[in-house]
Amino acid sequence: MQQLTNEIRAIARKLLREKKVEVVIGFERGSMPLRSRPCFIRKEEEVNRLFWDGFCENALAVYLPKRKERAAIVAKGCDSRAVVELIKEKQVQRDRVILIGVPCRGMVDRSRIESSAAPRRILEMREIEDTLILRGTDFEETLKRSEFLHESCKTCTHPNPVLHDVLVSEWLEEKNEDPFADIQTFDALTAEERWDYLNKEVDKCIRCYACRNACPLCYCPECFVDASLPQWIGKSIDSSDTMIFHLMRAYHLAGRCVSCGACERACPVGVDIRKLNRKLVKDVKDLFGYEAGLNLEQTSPLATFRPDDTESFIVNP
Amino acid sequence: MMENPYVPFPMRIEEIITETEDDIIKTFELSFVRKEEEEQFVYTPGQFAEISVFGQGEAPFGMASTPTQPGRLAFSVSKIGVVTGALHRMEKGDVVGVRGPLGNGYPLEAFKGRNLVLVGGGFGFSTLRCLTNFILHDSNRKDYGALTVVYGARAPGLLLYKKDLEDWRKRGDLQVHLTVDKDEKGWQGHVGLVPDVTRSVAPDPRNAYAVVCGPPAMIRFTLPVLKELGFGDEKIFLSLEMRMKCGIGKCGRCNVGSKYVCTDGPVFSRAELAGLTAEEHV
Amino acid sequence: MIPGGYGLPPSSKILKKDRLPSFLERLLEERIVFAPVRRGEVILIREIHAPSEVVLEYENAKESPKSIFFPEREPLFRYRTEKGKVEVDIPPGRERSRVVFGIRPCDARGLLLLDKVLGGEYRDPYYFDKRAETLVVSLACDHPNPSCFCLSMGGGPCSPEGSDLLLLDLSDGYLAEAVSERGAALLEDPAFEKSDEESLAVAKKIKRESEVSMKPVAMKENLEEHLERVFDDPVWKDLTETCLGCGICTYLCPTCYCFDLCDEAAGSSGERIRVWDSCQFPLFTQQASGLNPRPTAKERFRQRIMHKFSYLPKSQAMLGCVGCGRCVTECPVNLDIREVVKSLSGGNGG
Repeated sequence: MQQLTNEIRAIARKLLREKKVEVVIGFERGSMPLRSRPCFIRKEEEVNRLFWDGFCENALAVYLPKRKERAAIVAKGCDSRAVVELIKEKQVQRDRVILIGVPCRGMVDRSRIESSAAPRRILEMREIEDTLILRGTDFEETLKRSEFLHESCKTCTHPNPVLHDVLVSEWLEEKNEDPFADIQTFDALTAEERWDYLNKEVDKCIRCYACRNACPLCYCPECFVDASLPQWIGKSIDSSDTMIFHLMRAYHLAGRCVSCGACERACPVGVDIRKLNRKLVKDVKDLFGYEAGLNLEQTSPLATFRPDDTESFIVNP
Repeated sequence: MMENPYVPFPMRIEEIITETEDDIIKTFELSFVRKEEEEQFVYTPGQFAEISVFGQGEAPFGMASTPTQPGRLAFSVSKIGVVTGALHRMEKGDVVGVRGPLGNGYPLEAFKGRNLVLVGGGFGFSTLRCLTNFILHDSNRKDYGALTVVYGARAPGLLLYKKDLEDWRKRGDLQVHLTVDKDEKGWQGHVGLVPDVTRSVAPDPRNAYAVVCGPPAMIRFTLPVLKELGFGDEKIFLSLEMRMKCGIGKCGRCNVGSKYVCTDGPVFSRAELAGLTAEEHV
Repeated sequence: MIPGGYGLPPSSKILKKDRLPSFLERLLEERIVFAPVRRGEVILIREIHAPSEVVLEYENAKESPKSIFFPEREPLFRYRTEKGKVEVDIPPGRERSRVVFGIRPCDARGLLLLDKVLGGEYRDPYYFDKRAETLVVSLACDHPNPSCFCLSMGGGPCSPEGSDLLLLDLSDGYLAEAVSERGAALLEDPAFEKSDEESLAVAKKIKRESEVSMKPVAMKENLEEHLERVFDDPVWKDLTETCLGCGICTYLCPTCYCFDLCDEAAGSSGERIRVWDSCQFPLFTQQASGLNPRPTAKERFRQRIMHKFSYLPKSQAMLGCVGCGRCVTECPVNLDIREVVKSLSGGNGG
């Protein structure tokens, strides 16, 4: 990890020194064990704040739209896909952003680590290759990193940045195609069971909009839930309103969602937001053979119209 | 005060006056449906009430009527949002909900025996109309000194309360200075901005208070003029507009520093505001 | 509410752990009982129907218990309109009394702030109806989390403030200290035994160790005045640059109470409801004209900090933060309020 950190710092230092960018958006050490967090570096002397480990889970592309500065961004595979989508959707100018690509071995889900250690409290964590060494007041324990990854990372098929200007470390072997096992299980349920499942999940929602705000592709200046003239949906946690929020958001992201998992990680109450998004990722792939954010050339299927578009999705859901 | 401060009481729309040529501002005259609320609704100029259009929500409006004419309340409503749009679609005889009176109102005790200059612009003039009519009432006029009213709008057709303005013009016990941004045929008032007119007509600051109420830009440019004229910060009162919801200091959105516009205001002296941390535009 | 103090409790008894279920059974006979329960991965404070649902070996609930007193969605009244007429119905008050069992002292103390802001001249009848009929039994923290900072906010891991009864885990049982008369009445239940000097001594030691284990937050004295001086400092922009503008910090907070009023109508009838709102949302202060005094995350985040650490101390003589640490652990970008306060405390005074 230290090596990646050093490489990122060196690249950032060079970019700032040569005035290629005004800001480097990366990660720094968080305020607690198992936390790294976004940071903005504008001065060469601050590059040593930059840090890299298995907890750099935020989707940094969320900070790019509307940014006036020329920015460099530390980009995992999913981040680079988000940037690609943002460029295609004209929210980011390709020549105003430099991608510092970091092939990613998946980010660690701190809540899993915490529950595995509970009730003991983790005071310190070190990450060496595929091991995590936890230390508390009266224990030390070594865990296998790959066993504690975020759900979105477990199913990730694009760990390497799809677009980058500089590359940190070496290319990782790409995994096989995602079989969407979870979605196949979900699809196998009856409509009623699926509805019940979604209702149960959505009932947890507190309408904090962390999912939306953490999402790099949710950049609408006015989200439909906030519109007042006309007001489309109620503001409370009434389950029908909450359901509409999640369903509409998922549909708005269909063909655009890059499966970064930022929504689910931001959710404080554990709503299975990914289920909806992944269902639509799979549908878009099945129907249009399209995966969001893989390259700058391919047009988004739901943002284009062709007379020979398949009708099965519309006619026979 | 009301036992449940969130529950409005009913009032009936008796009259709807379209005030401006662009139809954006209408004044609603309301009558009390129940005697008890009529008796309880004792208010001061500068206070406001929350008006409910059931099914659409609630919005705050300063009383444009005067307490010296009991039995009715008047509110001028600019059609800009959900509730105001719904109000504009209402008709005579319809019932709305009212909560109030809310807020502090103008400091009438301090104003007694003093000369006053009231500076208003656009839609913000409603509570100054209330204050003017209150002072002009036979039972109050002797308590106050000279009264100067400066009132501006972009065009003559956008001035509110035309009948009042005409009545005031006929009276000898106040000076009314109307101003518009652009001259129009037949216009007899000033042409120019409110701060400039204020500079030329304001009374001697000694023994005088100034009250300013209007759009933020007008306030921003009028305040230095008043200072230049010699009005101290404690002699200038402003009525602030912030987004309000509950009107009772609970919902948390209308604060300027540690004060709530809805309960500590909406009327503040400039001296009071100087001690508060305010967002840039306030 | 009768706030308690430290020192020797006015009355205390022992509740052996094996007698807890019978105590809860009797509570359930008379009252609606809310307690920590496991829901999937997280602990939430929810209504329980059997003692077995209760989880007392926990750090803190994901959400604060404020929704029991101040729900996310609360109908204020129903209305029915027809031409020239309107009828308004206010929902009746609560009939069954309730108890919130096993919440943490920080959250109990948070209720004292809600009492202040929702009280006063315009007393909020919906909140106080629930508050008056609800006993608060809290469970002291013997092992505060690294994210906890109640002690720095004027409370403490074993603070009795805001509780009617405070339980302290002595491993085979709980020392139960009555903080209010209502709490003392609970001690009449046969499940409680007399406490002894030894238990009291152990409890005292646990309290002290718990407090000592907490890391203090570096906070300037007279922070409320200092913050007003640094209101225009450019540091706010740096502090809030990573903020995503979501409502997690405010919604999970035990003392955030800002709300919105909305009408939900179907045809000629409907409800006026109160829903939680957040100062972190742009719409919170956006005026119908489009003007917004707090247009960016910087102003909105500043409002949250000013409200908690300057405005409330000035208007209510109480900090708007009880140090529960939820915003610290749940913020998606780890924007740590303790670091913010520390950083502002070190400011040069603008």
